[in-house]
This record gives sequence, C-alpha cells and structure tokens, in this order.
Amino acid sequence: MSAFRIEFHFLGVIKMKALILVGGFGTRLRPLTLSVPKPLVDFANKPMILHQIEALKAIGVTEVVLAINYQPEVMLNFLKEFEKKLGIKITCSQETEPLGTAGPLALARDKLIDGSGEPFFVLNSDVISEYPLKEMISFHKGHGGEASIMVTKVDEPSKYGVVVMEETTGKVERFVEKPKTFVGNKINAGIYLLNPSVLDRIELRPTSIEKEVFPNIAAANKLYAMVLPGFWMDIGQPKDYITGLRFYLDSLRKRSSAELASGSHFIGNVLVDESAVIGDGCLIGPDVAIGPGCVIESGVRLSRCSIMRGVRIKKHACVSNSIIGWHSTVGRWARLENMTILGEDVHLGDEVYSNGGVVLPHKEIKSSILKPEIVM
Amino acid sequence: MEISEQKVVAVIMVGGPTKGTRFRPLSFNTPKPLFPLAGQPMVHHPISACKRISNLAQIFLIGFFEEREFTLYVSSISNELKIPVRYLKEDKPRGSAGGLYYFRNIIMEDNPSHIFLLNCDVCCSFPLTNMLEAHKRYGGMGTVSAETANQFGELVADPITKELLHYTEKPETFVSDLINCGLYIFTPDIFTAIQEVSTHREDQANLRHLSTFEALQSPTRAFPLDFVRLDQDILSPFAGKKQLYTYETMDFWEQIKTPGMSLKCSGLYLSQFRFTSPDLLAGGDGTRSALIVGDVYVHPSAKVHPTAKIGPNVSISANVRVGAGARLINCIVLDDVEVQENAVVINSIVGWKSSIGKWSRVQADGDYNAKLGITILGEAVMVEDEVVVINSIVLPNKTLNLSVQDEIIL
Repeated sequence: MSAFRIEFHFLGVIKMKALILVGGFGTRLRPLTLSVPKPLVDFANKPMILHQIEALKAIGVTEVVLAINYQPEVMLNFLKEFEKKLGIKITCSQETEPLGTAGPLALARDKLIDGSGEPFFVLNSDVISEYPLKEMISFHKGHGGEASIMVTKVDEPSKYGVVVMEETTGKVERFVEKPKTFVGNKINAGIYLLNPSVLDRIELRPTSIEKEVFPNIAAANKLYAMVLPGFWMDIGQPKDYITGLRFYLDSLRKRSSAELASGSHFIGNVLVDESAVIGDGCLIGPDVAIGPGCVIESGVRLSRCSIMRGVRIKKHACVSNSIIGWHSTVGRWARLENMTILGEDVHLGDEVYSNGGVVLPHKEIKSSILKPEIVM
Repeated sequence: MEISEQKVVAVIMVGGPTKGTRFRPLSFNTPKPLFPLAGQPMVHHPISACKRISNLAQIFLIGFFEEREFTLYVSSISNELKIPVRYLKEDKPRGSAGGLYYFRNIIMEDNPSHIFLLNCDVCCSFPLTNMLEAHKRYGGMGTVSAETANQFGELVADPITKELLHYTEKPETFVSDLINCGLYIFTPDIFTAIQEVSTHREDQANLRHLSTFEALQSPTRAFPLDFVRLDQDILSPFAGKKQLYTYETMDFWEQIKTPGMSLKCSGLYLSQFRFTSPDLLAGGDGTRSALIVGDVYVHPSAKVHPTAKIGPNVSISANVRVGAGARLINCIVLDDVEVQENAVVINSIVGWKSSIGKWSRVQADGDYNAKLGITILGEAVMVEDEVVVINSIVLPNKTLNLSVQDEIIL
C-alpha cells in the first residue's frame, strides 16, 4: 500500500469567534438609553454594536456572542434582523448577576471554545475605532503569546488604567490603575485577542480582567500589547459621543469619502442617510450625522451634532454640540447648544433656546433652558 | 323599581403612561395608579371607598395603560372585595367625558341609577355615601364635590341651593375660592348631555364654512367630534341651568401629581387609618419589635430589627429588611429594599430593590412641592456605606459611592 501524503490547504475558512461585552444599563448615555439598550443607540446612523459586528464579519468571524445583563428580549429581536442581513451567527450570553469585566468570558466559555484552538476576540461595546483586526491577528501569531490587547495613546493617562510595556516587542510588564506619577501614556483600548487557554484562568464569578486576569498573564510573560492605529473613543457618554463622531467621520473622509455628503450646503464631514431630506439654504457641518427619515427644513444650521432617526428640525433653527433623539422635533428659530440632549419623542417649541438641557423622553418644551439642567 | 334596588356603579379614571411624566422616576416601572400609598396601591383607596356604598354593582377603571399592567391587580381586588372590578383601556384620547361616553354600554350594563366618576390621583376621605344622598336631594343630572381652598377656585355655587352657577377652568383672576375635587356623581342623563356636545359640534362644522382665519380662532378647532372634556364641555355650559350641583367637603384633599405629593398623601392616609382601620398600623416599643412612633405601616413580610426606630409617617412594603439601629422618618420604602445598620432615611422615597448602606444618610428638606424637596431613589439604586444623599433624585440602577446634594442623577 503506498503512502500518500495529503496536504490540507486551508482555503482561508478558519472560523473565528468573538465576544462583545455589552454589560449594563448604560446610565451615562441617558436619556437615550431610557428608550433602547445602549448597544442599539445609533452612532453615525448605525446601532453602536453594528459597527463592531461588521468589523468582525469583515475579517472572517462567523459567530459573535453578546455578553449582556439587561433587556435581552430587545437585543434578541434586533439580532435576528442582523443575523440574516449580515450572514453571521449572533447569540447572547446573559449574566444573572454582574460578573465584572472577565466573568462574562467564563460564562460564555462553551460558546467560545470549539476545539479548533483558534483565538477569539473580545470587544468592549462602548469603543469605536478603525478595528484593525487583521493586523491584530498577525501581531498575535507573531509573538506567540497567550493574549494580545490593543492599547491607545491618551493625553491624560491618570484617568484610566495604564499599560506599561516594552516598546519594541510590546510585551506587557504591568498594569497600573490611575497612576499618580507618569508611568506611560498607553491605556487599555478594550480590544483583546485571546487564546482559549485564557479561559482556564477565569473563574465564573465577578472578576476584573484588568486587575486579576491580565496581570497574571503578564507575569507569565505571555501578554502583548499593540498600539492601536487610527482613532479611539469610548462613546459611553454624550460628550465623548460627539467627539467620537468627529473622529469617525474624519476617518471616513480618509478612507472613502463617497459616504460623506458633498455640496455647497455642507462644511467638513457630514453623513446623511439617503432617506433624509434637507431643505434650501441650510448649512450643515462640520461633524454632523443625520439619520433615516429626518426632515431638515430650510435655513437650518447644524454643527457637531447627531440627529437620530425620524427627527424634524424646523425652519431657521440652529443646533450645535447636541444629540437629538429619535422622532423628536425642534421648533422654528430654536437654538440648541452646549450638549443639549433630547431623548426620544421630545418636542421643542418655536424660538426655544436650550443651553445644555437634558430632556427625558416624551416631553414638550415650551420655555427656554438657560443653563444646563435635566428636564424629567 | 324600589329605591333600595337602585344600583350604583363607579368609574375611576386612572390616566396613562405618556401623559404623566411628572411622576418620574417612580413611574418608569410602575403605573402611577399602582404606586403604593400607606401600603396600598393608589387606586385602592378610592376603590375601598366605593365598596362602602350600598348597592354598588361594579367598579370600572378607565385609562390608557396596557391591559396587562392591571390584570393582576384587578383580579386580586375583585376577589378580595367580592365585587367586579374591570379595567377598560381607551384606544385613543377622547377627553375625560368622551372616555366615559365611549364605554357607556358597559357602564350601563346593570342599569345603574347613578354613576360615580372619580379621579385616581385624588387623595381625600371620599365621602361618597353622603355625597350620593345630597345628589338625590338636589335631583339634578350631576353633583361635583368641592372644597374651599386658598387657590384660584373654579366653581361658583349658590350658598343655599348649592347649585353650580359657574365653572371656569384654571382661572387667572379671582372667581371663587371653591375648587373642583375631582369626584362626581351623575345620573345616566350625562350620556345624553355628552352626546349633545358632540352633535352640536358636528352641526357647527357642517353649517359654517369657516375661513382659514376663523378656523384658527375657533376654540374647538383642534378637537375631533368625539373629544369631549368634562370641565369645559359639560360643567361650564351646563352651569346655572339647574342641572348641576355641588357637594362641599371640609376634609383633607390633595392631588397626587408628583412623587413628593405621594409621600404627603401616604401620610394623610396613614393618619386616616388611625380612625378607620387602626389594626393596619404598626405598634412596637423597642423591646421585642422595633420602636414605632406615630403612624406607620409595615408589610407583614418585612423584617425590621428591634433596635431600629421607625416613624412618624413611614410606610414599609413587602420583603423589606431594616437593619439594626436604622432610623426612618417620613418615608416610603418600597418592595425588596435593604436598609442596612445605622442608616438614616428622612423625607424620602426609596425605590424597589434599592440598598441603603451602613451609616449612610438619605434625606431631604421635606418640601412636598419643591422639585427636589423629597429625595427619590428609583428602582435598584445602591447607596454605599456612609454616603450622604440630600435633596436629590436618582434614576434607576445607579450606584452612589460619593455623596450628592441638590442633584438629579441620570
């Protein structure tokens, strides 16, 4: 009997998995999160979590597990729709008690390990970036360690957990939470690529990945960090959401500005959904996103703001540095600025001025808000 | 038909979800009519009062909430009181009288001779039997309960005949000092009256081809034909025609519009229990059970440590645990809350499943009408040990590890 040596050529069909840490109540993004769970809040005209799911799909991830602990029914409905559209399997892993930042990985263990030995991604749902996941896979295979994390450079590292690493290899030496003296300016970007063996280090109990798991792997010299190219933002609160929009649109401009609006009515980077209608004499931009079904009447000025689905901005209004929630209306000659946030179905009367008003859903506002205030 | 066989029904207007944003954050998870005052859902108080009327055939709750929000409550209260209580959901806004008219066939099922109409968010002694007697004496189509108050009163009544002479909604100048208490009795003629209003409106619309300018001026422009408001469309036009009368009361009366007022009204009902159902109130002298001061309600399933001191004006709901040395004054503590050792809660409402840490302090000035006069903790708020929360409102699912004052925490 002759021995045949058969070489298996992987046709690039490696099935990778990913876990997205969706977590809790999203209270920092209230009042928007009083209407939908945080991952479904739109960012640049797309639910936040869709940005991540699409990035994962693009590099061949076939299954995404969402680690959630809140409103699973709403999430599951949404997921069915996108499972079909995107052709990717999406499942939920629901915490019955808060498990911290590492516990959910243990909870989802059976979904993440399939015996193939392939590493899996873990993403934090509040983060937006360019998601250079292919580069991360190469980096991970290159160093041969157990876990890779993305880090990003920030101006004020003491606000976060700093990752101290060897510059050339990226080998992580240690984590320092909110350092009082300067130890480095790279922080955990919330994007990880982990070998299945990492799951053996995590018990099914409330556990912190930064305080317990990663330091252990670093001590064994098996944790490596890659500096995230491009922009990074944690958009879990409104001010950072607006800043993140600017970064995101800027990155769109650099890559394929076909999506961005162009014309004499637009300044800088502006994203307009194709079903939105914009009147005459408007000046829109920079850094504006206008969602599906919006009506922007004539003479409107919009800058640095996010206009969610179904919003109507009436004539001559002026909106800057604000977020306008789904199906709200802004009256004629109204002026909104300084992180005004309107929840779902909020109606601002004509000529109203809002300086940082935060308005909960289903309200009518007839008088001006002169200084930042929450309207319940 | 014998007078003693004349049946009576009661209709309680309970409102709906998007209308009442003033009751936030307590209304996020519970419909306002089911919010507990003195240990019982708000709507329970008018319902119990209705039960005291003789020949009461049915009680109807009319509102905009989804039926499933009321299913459990309605079936349990029907069982408990042995009288049919039904929730009827309005499909679209028809005004306070329009809603009543819409359900007239169901309301008239038992051929009642009189119909009580009550607002769920009124806190008072509900002197319904006396009011019915007065109504029968007057012999009119309807009787409105009224009270003298230091406000801009809407009702003008004849001091001798008690007839309603004049009614104006939200007057800006002085008209009278009699206010509408939101309790009414009608004979079935009311349905005819409501129908007349709709018909009249339809005729107006058909007869006149209004110019655009006229149409904008017309006060009924915005309302569809079947939208009939009790105040402007019935009380106002029928005043002075010997059809409507007033019944004056002197007892306590408040409207429960905000969480702050619900605390005040819970206290009013607790003090009323002292006279009507003293067995509902808690007692204790600090030896084998906690020291109780003033009027206090404690649900049978709640566990209060004997070294805690509770009251006056405290209402403790089901499964609450109050730890050693805790002090509660003028507050409502909702289901499943844990108040830990030596904590202090004053002039506050603590939401379902919340936790008040050891030596922490949750308090407010106690001004029921001020926006931040009563501290409100929404559902599942965790106040960590030794933290102080003063004059603040905290939305559900927040953890406070730093002290706050005069703030709304989203």
